[in-house]
Amino acid sequence: MEAAISSILFYLFATIAVLSAFGVVAARNPVNSAMCMAVSFASTAAVLFCMGAQFLGIVQIIVYAGAILVLFLFVVMMLDVKSEERSLSSLPRAIMGVVIAGIFAGMVTKAALLLPDATAGTCPVKALFCSDCKAPAATETAKGELSGGALPALAPEGEEERSDVKSLGATLFSQYNIPFVILSFALLSGTVGAVALGRKVRKD
Amino acid sequence: MTPLAHYLILSGILFSIGLAGVLIRKNIIVVFMCLEMMLSAANISLVAFSRAQGTEGVPVYDPQVLSLFVVAVAAAEVAIGLALIVAMFRARKSVESTAITTLKD
Repeated sequence: MEAAISSILFYLFATIAVLSAFGVVAARNPVNSAMCMAVSFASTAAVLFCMGAQFLGIVQIIVYAGAILVLFLFVVMMLDVKSEERSLSSLPRAIMGVVIAGIFAGMVTKAALLLPDATAGTCPVKALFCSDCKAPAATETAKGELSGGALPALAPEGEEERSDVKSLGATLFSQYNIPFVILSFALLSGTVGAVALGRKVRKD
Repeated sequence: MTPLAHYLILSGILFSIGLAGVLIRKNIIVVFMCLEMMLSAANISLVAFSRAQGTEGVPVYDPQVLSLFVVAVAAAEVAIGLALIVAMFRARKSVESTAITTLKD
């Protein structure tokens, strides 16, 4: 029952994310694009929550839907970009873009479905209403081999057992400490560079 | 439970919508938004792999750390990119990719 509900929530938010992503590409007014992007990022964060990555979901909302989106809206409002007459490029270029993206999506889908047990998932709606079609138990795969089937269940969270943020922080500050410091320099130089690029050039 | 393949397919679809946007839109701000969507789509598959490789109910946290790095680099990239767009608007009075034709003319 709970598994079925979480699956239904996943498909719901996945649909919202994909539809609003279409909205970003299709909207004529950049402000509408930015609003669709907010919805898309929020549903992406919900999908991350579905996978039990609470910290990354929160980061997704704070950084993407909060900081990055506000920066975009700020620039759109500041530049006063009018909605375009023809939002897309010339027709051949548009067709080429759609074809390339379609080929890419097909390749990713095919590769994902080629994983072992990839098609073993059950229909969540059916599992909600009849009790005897439970999700099949995850088949044992050899160690190191990736299974495309259901994700392994998470251990319960709590103070003692396991905490998502605590484990992530432990990995980040032990194994990846030096990349983390380098990353802070990248952020600093990015900010300084943005200020240097954004300020008006004086003539003298 | 939702199979891993569905998470990967969702990530692939979001990524290719972003790719299509980058290829067909003219407004550079929207192109940049689609670029951000591609980065966040990559995050979904990183987290899905982190769950799939986990043992005894504990995910592998290395992909999640990588995905955190992706978010931070995306934030820095947006700051730089939008500053470039503002500079381009000052120089060309336009944010369309068709306006940058100095080398072509």
